[in-house]
Formats: sequence, C-alpha cells, structure tokens
Amino acid sequence: MPDPDKTDADDRMKALFAQDQPPARDPLFSAAVMVRIARRRFQADVAMLACVTGVGGLVLWGLWPTLSPTLIALSQGLAPVAACLTLAAIVTVPLMGGRPGAALGLES
Amino acid sequence: MSLEGLDLAMVEAAQAGSTSAFARLVDRHQQPLRAFLRRTCGDWAMADDLAQETFLTAWSRIGALKAGASVRAWLCGIGYNKHLTALRSRGRERARERTYAAENPPSGPSMTGERLALEAAMAELPPDQRACVALCLAADFSHAEAADAFGLPLGTVKSHVARGRARLLQVLGGSDARS
Repeated sequence: MPDPDKTDADDRMKALFAQDQPPARDPLFSAAVMVRIARRRFQADVAMLACVTGVGGLVLWGLWPTLSPTLIALSQGLAPVAACLTLAAIVTVPLMGGRPGAALGLES
Repeated sequence: MSLEGLDLAMVEAAQAGSTSAFARLVDRHQQPLRAFLRRTCGDWAMADDLAQETFLTAWSRIGALKAGASVRAWLCGIGYNKHLTALRSRGRERARERTYAAENPPSGPSMTGERLALEAAMAELPPDQRACVALCLAADFSHAEAADAFGLPLGTVKSHVARGRARLLQVLGGSDARS
C-alpha cells in the first residue's frame, strides 16, 4: 500500500540519493580493509612478543644471582632439556599458524 | 538461511576470531555503510576513508556487539561517530579547506542541476539532521533503528527527519504533504 504522505518529490529525492550508492560488491575496498586489519594484528603480535621478551628479560635479570649457581650446577643435565624445549617451540609456533598468542594459548 | 541469520552466524564466527567471517561481513555491509557516509560527508574519498576506519574499529569491538543486534545500524553508528570526530579535528583547517574546496570540487560523478541542489541542501543541514536524513530517507531505516544507531532520542530523530525532508523538498521544488 503506498504511503499517503509521500509525494513525487520524495520519489525524485530517493532517486537522486540512489546515485550515491557504491557497487554491491567491491573487492578492492574489501581487500584494503582486510589488509589494514592484518597489519593491525601483526603490530599487536609484535607488541605482545616485545612485552613477553622484555618481562622475561627483567625476570631473568632479577633472578640471575639466585639462578646462576643452580644453573651452573645443573647445566650438564639441563642442556638436553633446553634443546628439546627450544625445538618444541620452533615446531609449535608455525603449527599454530605462526601466531605466538595462539601458541601460548592466549587466544582462540 | 535468512539475511539476519547469516549476519548472526558471521558475527559469532568473527567474535571467535575468524577473519574470513569478518571479511564476509565487510563484503555484505560495505555498500550501505559507504552510501550512508557519502551522503553524510558529501566527499566520496573522505567517506571511503571513514568507512575503512569504521571497519577497523568494528573489528576491534566486534566482541561488544550484542547477539541479534543490527550489524548495519551498528556500523552506521560507528561511522557517524568517526565523521563527527573528523569534523571536529578538521575545524581548525576549515578556512584552508574552503579555499581548497572552491578550487577542487568534491570527488564524485558528474552531477545534474537537481543533484547539485540536493548536495548543496544536504551540506547546509546540521550534521545530526543530515545523518538522520541519510539513514531514514535515503537508506530506509526506521526512526527507531536510526535512534538506536546514533544514540539519539526517538523524538529527536523524528524531528530531524521531518525538518530535513521539508528543507530538501523545498529545494527540489516539491510540496511537503505532511506539513
């Protein structure tokens, strides 16, 4: 049922507004948005890695006087374990899509 | 699956971290969002920049979108806030822009006289009124949807639309049947 309040000028106005309509599908625009999102996620990942590294370094620096004698004593036994853990990290991070947050269980 | 159901499924997937679901949301909603911003800004290039910014903000806030809420209205609300922020931050450059605008008309297709008159009349409307007209008269949003998108009272939206419509019809030479 037509709207009794509408006039011909309303229809003309609507037709003029319709000329502003972008295409229903615009792969270039969508790609530009997704590139910016990927860049933002990458920056967030780098920032998180920098934080984890910084905090780890500080903790290690603080604990070093305590850890140092123990580590020296256990170095012979720890070397193979450390090598295994490093290898596991090298394998796990790429398997989780190269996203360190996912590898550390911090995101779904 | 209905369009709303499709949106709901894609929003849920995007909230779980799926970028491909969000890419489909961008595909589906870029047209109404960009059309709204073009009508609100008047400058197509600026409108497309704001639309990209809107989707970036939407990505970071997708977790806050309530289940069943209109994605289109939510995006238009974010886009409108981006537009207001851009207007405020550019206030200091207005004089310089006036000179630039006089020398370089806004990007867009070649316009007929009637279209130019409509653009000029839209540009004269206050930002709130222009946004309400762009959603309710050009994009067929209900007054309630527009009020929800902009966070304005329903009565304010109705009054903005009525005043904006009367002004635009006056410019287009039509009579306002409601007044």
